[in-house]
Amino acid sequence: MLKYLIAVTGSTAVPAVLLGLLCAWIVPAYKRRGTLTICVSAVAATLAALVYTILRNTTKVIDRSGGASMWNVRVFALSAFALIIFYVFSPLAARRKSGGAARALALAAAGVLTLTQTFYAMAQVMMNISKFNLGGEGMLSTAFITRIIGLILGLAIAVVILTAMIQVALRMKPGTVLALLWAVLFVNAFQQVSSALGTLYSKRYISGHGLFQFIKFTTNHSDLFTYVIMAVAFAIPVVLWARSFNVREPYRNPAEHRKIKAKWRSIRRWSTALVCAFVLVVLCLTWFTAIDNRVIELSPVEECEIRDGACYVAMTQVDDGHLHRFAYTTENGVEIRFIIIKKPNSSSYGVGLDACDICGETGYFERGGQVVCKLCDVVMNINTIGFKGGCNPIVVPWSIEEGFIALPIEGLVEYESEFK
Amino acid sequence: MKKTLVLVLSLVLAMSLLMAASAEAGFTEYPIFEDEEVAFLHVNAVYFQAVPMAPGQENFEDYDIHLECDVAALENDLGYGVDDWVPYLTIDFEVIDEATSETAADGTFMVMSASDGPHYGANIKLPNAGTYTVKFTFHSPADNGYLIHSDSETGPGGLLEEYFGDGPLTLEYSGWDYVPLG
Repeated sequence: MLKYLIAVTGSTAVPAVLLGLLCAWIVPAYKRRGTLTICVSAVAATLAALVYTILRNTTKVIDRSGGASMWNVRVFALSAFALIIFYVFSPLAARRKSGGAARALALAAAGVLTLTQTFYAMAQVMMNISKFNLGGEGMLSTAFITRIIGLILGLAIAVVILTAMIQVALRMKPGTVLALLWAVLFVNAFQQVSSALGTLYSKRYISGHGLFQFIKFTTNHSDLFTYVIMAVAFAIPVVLWARSFNVREPYRNPAEHRKIKAKWRSIRRWSTALVCAFVLVVLCLTWFTAIDNRVIELSPVEECEIRDGACYVAMTQVDDGHLHRFAYTTENGVEIRFIIIKKPNSSSYGVGLDACDICGETGYFERGGQVVCKLCDVVMNINTIGFKGGCNPIVVPWSIEEGFIALPIEGLVEYESEFK
Repeated sequence: MKKTLVLVLSLVLAMSLLMAASAEAGFTEYPIFEDEEVAFLHVNAVYFQAVPMAPGQENFEDYDIHLECDVAALENDLGYGVDDWVPYLTIDFEVIDEATSETAADGTFMVMSASDGPHYGANIKLPNAGTYTVKFTFHSPADNGYLIHSDSETGPGGLLEEYFGDGPLTLEYSGWDYVPLG
């Protein structure tokens, strides 16, 4: 769940801030035309992202047209071009009578910015959905459902940011909103252009040591751009929240007074919602990411008896249905690990090396009653442990002798090279 | 309302056409190094987005890239056709961060086929941009049970132990400027 919450939040938080500010600027400036432009662009971009995701997952069209990274380059280039147009012509948008062409260009640029930002964000979100059932767990599995919950929570945070940003920014002066909008658009464009340069550098279209150092810095600190954008946008709710406690708007009667108080109460609530959403985004990018990236430690190796040319494990030691790990150290000092688990609803045991033919000596761990390969995260069918094939543990000879599971040492040593 | 719908559909259609129109033949790979040679092996290394592999390796959500090692035969006396893929190798890989000298990723390649043919590859985690050294260790095909006719009548003339007698072959490439795929 965390993985998808983090991924979706990372993809949508910045576009939500941008679109929120864009809406708050365009609606007063263009009224219905502005709203229509944003809505049409956003819906078209979402549908285009859907087409893109379907093509990417079911055909070779996207790959043959340069791959997803080159698509991002095209989107970023279009977005950067639209930003320049927007920067030049948006100050003239307030002149409703004299600036006809300039107003139209600024509106078109805003539409293209909405299109590109929404397309990029939604394509990333939708690509996550295609990974939901990679493990083949099925659509009714807990894993599948928790992934959906993660994605929905991420989208919910984005919707809160978008809505709250519109609500609070609409209370600001249009000039202030435009200045903040420029700031976040340019920071975002800087990050996107550096990402595009990274793709072009990887494909060896461009080169240069200084350029690589720049790309390296911006790539490894990409979250920094999100923080900067949120810090800029953060100013709006903070200013309004503080101002809500010191309202001096004139009123003519108690009804108007109540209306003003209600308005500022609403502003305070939206400001609080926005700040909470920002805090959640920061948590996703820091704490939750750290939790999600935790390295899984294999359970410790347990004691077993080594005698008569075999490793002996008491059956009482492994009859709890959990995964148990043991090891034999060879004359060359190589530790050969093996696992034993009692099969569910059965008196038999699954025995094999703590390694498989595909993933090597990576090992297995227990998660939610299932045995999982640490490297590829494939869930083993516990009943097939002890059988050869796929990512199953490498099969070794074993037998049951007087209450013990015995693994001949010569059968283990045969796989010494698997454990470096 | 109709106008709006037409506008939305036009934009979607335009983007879809753009996707289709820019399609070109080929497979999007990012080069690491090309045309390195070690003994009778001609080696190229590339990377691209992490991919699902069947059977058993369908889940690639935790990986950043697919690292691929293409190994073809040079002129040789082992019976491999020149430029043919060399099977039965075990290849260990290590990716070392040159800034810290620490291993950023390591493991053993799996054997697989893509649309461009068979190769050795693995999905790996490599989240940070940086300059890396890539080290490949080629173990003898004999370790996987590959045999060479050793008689003069039917044998190709050479033996694997002539190349692997001193142990596995290694290939090290420094200065890979890596940028994660966006």
